Order: sequence, then C-alpha cells, then structure tokens
Amino acid sequence: PAGGVSLRPCSTRATLEGINKPVIDRIIRVDHAGEYGANRIYAGQMAVLGRSSAGPIIQQMWNQEKDHLKKFNELMVAYRVRPTVLLPFWNIAGFVLGAGSALLGKKGAMACTVAVEESISDHYNSQIRTLMEEDPEKYKELLQIIKQFRDDEREHHDIGLEHDAEAAPAYSVLKTAIQLGCKAAIFLSERI
Amino acid sequence: VRCQLYSPQRALQASAVLRRVSDEQKKEPLASSSQQQFDSHPADHQPEQEPQGPRPSYTGQGGQESEDYESEEQLQHRILTAALEFVPEHGWTAEAIAEGAKTLGLSVAAAGMFHSDGSELILHFVSQCNTKLSDLLEQEQKLVQLGKAEKKSTDQFLRDAVEARLRMLIPYIEKWPQALSILLLPHNIPSSLNLLTSMIDDIWQYAGDQSTDFNWYTRRAVLTGIYNTTELVMMQDSSPDFEDTWRFLENRVADAMNMGDTANQVQSTGEAVVQGLMGAAVTVSN
Repeated sequence: PAGGVSLRPCSTRATLEGINKPVIDRIIRVDHAGEYGANRIYAGQMAVLGRSSAGPIIQQMWNQEKDHLKKFNELMVAYRVRPTVLLPFWNIAGFVLGAGSALLGKKGAMACTVAVEESISDHYNSQIRTLMEEDPEKYKELLQIIKQFRDDEREHHDIGLEHDAEAAPAYSVLKTAIQLGCKAAIFLSERI
Repeated sequence: VRCQLYSPQRALQASAVLRRVSDEQKKEPLASSSQQQFDSHPADHQPEQEPQGPRPSYTGQGGQESEDYESEEQLQHRILTAALEFVPEHGWTAEAIAEGAKTLGLSVAAAGMFHSDGSELILHFVSQCNTKLSDLLEQEQKLVQLGKAEKKSTDQFLRDAVEARLRMLIPYIEKWPQALSILLLPHNIPSSLNLLTSMIDDIWQYAGDQSTDFNWYTRRAVLTGIYNTTELVMMQDSSPDFEDTWRFLENRVADAMNMGDTANQVQSTGEAVVQGLMGAAVTVSN
C-alpha cells in the first residue's frame, strides 16, 4: 500500500512552482477518474460474484485499486486539481459495467477486467511518455507513481487472462466495446 | 497560488502610443523605458526613430538591459493602479485612466491603450484584490501553523474571508454597481468568471477543503452564491460600517452549513429506510 503523505496546505505553494499546470491537471484528473471508475467496476463485480470462487481474486484486485484511488486523492489535493464533473456518472456507469459483465459469469467479469486494464496500461504508458518528454527530473515522483500503477494494472490484466477471460461469451466484441467506452471516458474526463 | 494578473491587449498599438508620448514629452526616464520596450519587442514592426540621440540597442534577452527596463504589461499595470485613485471621482472610465497616466508623467493619450469602457481597469482591480486576499489568507495560515493564532471553524473562516474581500470594495462602493454591469458584458465574462472562480477556489483551499468528489463543485458553487448575493446586498446597504451586510453574510454561511448537515441527515434517513424495507422484504418472503 502506498504510504500516506501528510500534506500541509502551505507545502502546496511549493509543489506548484514551475510545473506545467495544464498538463499535470489533466493527468491527475483523468487518472483519478480512472481509478474511481475501476473501483466501481470491481465493486459491481463483487456484488454479483462476491460469494463465488472468483470472489477472493476480484477482492484482491479491488483492494489494490482502492490504494491507487487513495494515492490520487492525495495528489489531487497536493496539486490543487479539480476533479472531473462526471464523477457521479462514472460512479453508476462503473458499477453497471462491473455488475453487467459479472452477470455473464466469471469469464465475463475477467474479460471486462482484461479490457479495462489494457486500456488503462496503455493510457498510463502514454502519460509516462508525456512526462518524460516534459521533464523527467521535475516530475520524478509523479512518474514513479504512474509507473508503479501501470505495472499493477498490467498484473491485473494478466490475472484476467489467466482466469479464462478469452473464453468469455463474445469476447472480442465485449473487449472492443469496453475499450471504446474507456477511450471516451478518458477523453471526457481529461477535459471536463 | 495561481497568479491571476490580468494582462491587457493591443500591444502594438500601445507601443505606438507610447512612442508618440515619448516624442511629445521628451522626458528621459519615460523615453528610455518606451525605447527599450520596443527594441526588445520582437513583434514590433515600427521603424526605429531617434528623437533623443544615440542610444544602445537592446537585443531582447541576450542584449544589455538597463535597470529601469519595464515590460509593456508592467507599465500598463502601473497606469491602472495609479488610475484607481481617480475612480471614486470619475468612475471606471477612460477619464480615470487618463488621470492615472498623468500622475505617472505620461500623456493622457496613454488611456488610448485600453478599452473605452474601463474593462481593463476593473479587471485589474479585481485581480489585485484577489491577490491581496490570497496573501492575507496565506499569512493567517502561517500564524496558525506557528501556533500564534487559533484555527478558525469553517463557517467563521468563510465569513472572515468573504468579509475581508468585500471590504476592499468600500473605497469604490459608489461606483461598484457600474463595475459589476461592465463585468457582465459578454467580452468580459470569460475573464471575470475566471477571476471569480479562482478566488473562490483560493478561499476553499485555505479553509482546508480537501474534497476530491462532487463536493468540490457543490462547495464552490455554494460559496460563489454566498459571495455574489452578499456583494449585491452590500451595494444597497446604508447601515454603519455595513453591519447589515455582515449579518446577511453570517446568515447565508449558517444556511450553507445547515444544508450540509441536512444533506447528511437525508442520506442517513434514506439508508435507514432502505434497510428497513429490505428487512421487511426478507421477513415477508419467510
């Protein structure tokens, strides 16, 4: 679990000196929205499959997402970033997606996990590229965090594959649809 | 703190006006600053004139710069700040700007740099007030951190912050309604909205708001409402030292706090009701 950073408001002024605010704003806002959505997806999956054999593994992945969200909450306060207006919407949409995919069975839930985690890893990768292009030194801490989270998401993706995600009904259609949804969510959360 | 310096436009025109000004007046310090401005202004297309004899040329960042180098923007800020003194008499108008320019030793034509409706003057004033408020809140926060002052409760903090900010209007209160209507003009709305939202965000930031969910929006919307309505009440207030306004403010902040409590109560009641129904459903199905 990521260590809790105790943030005194006065340190915020120092954090904000010299950073590319618009870029960092977007990055933190969309990542926060993403982790929030991922949380809700796993919550939906647990609501349906909580007592099945897949329960423990989903719970474990969910716990990691909770840690990720906690970290982004801290970053959001530290960098004074506005959360996306769409949070209530992602709340419901995430839960519905999680529960809906879980209703297709354990494999359906895993397929959803694979699709989402793949989107998120790609997304984190492009953010890492952006930050490296900007100034790897200045954004060292943020880069470290995003790299760590990207590795975690990659692991979730692999777990999903291990648990027969590809055997899910209409796997490729499901995967494409979910990834399209993720792209749209990322686009919107960056901006509003 | 986000630096909200409002920067006026029309740079090229400004250079031309200042050059005319320097030609007219032939005042050394002014001329040197205006010369420097467009020597280092890459966008300036005006041909070089030599009203005051040979002068070293400045090549922007690389070249020499004398101590009294001043950017266009800084000069405009100085003019607008000087103009504020004349607002109670002339209102938020080009006349006030012209008078301000005169006190700096510039020609009244310098007012031509700005819009004729006084927009920049008002926006400059608002931006200045916001900066003053930020600094004030920052200092108060330092005192609390050093243990030299008590940490205020949220409602007290909000009341004091809004009051401090509104008190800055008192010297200009007669002409402020005029300013408000100008700020609502379509071409000013993006800037004035920007200034308003960042001020409200600043206040919440120092009040210790750390929300990362929809509350972020709710709180700012509520405080914006409180600020705007209190400002309007202040325009109509004739009580000594605006006591009525501060009492209105106190009531609105209290309402907002209650709203928060009420929302929580509604939520808990809702949850309790749902649980009750679920329990009833289970009982009935048995």
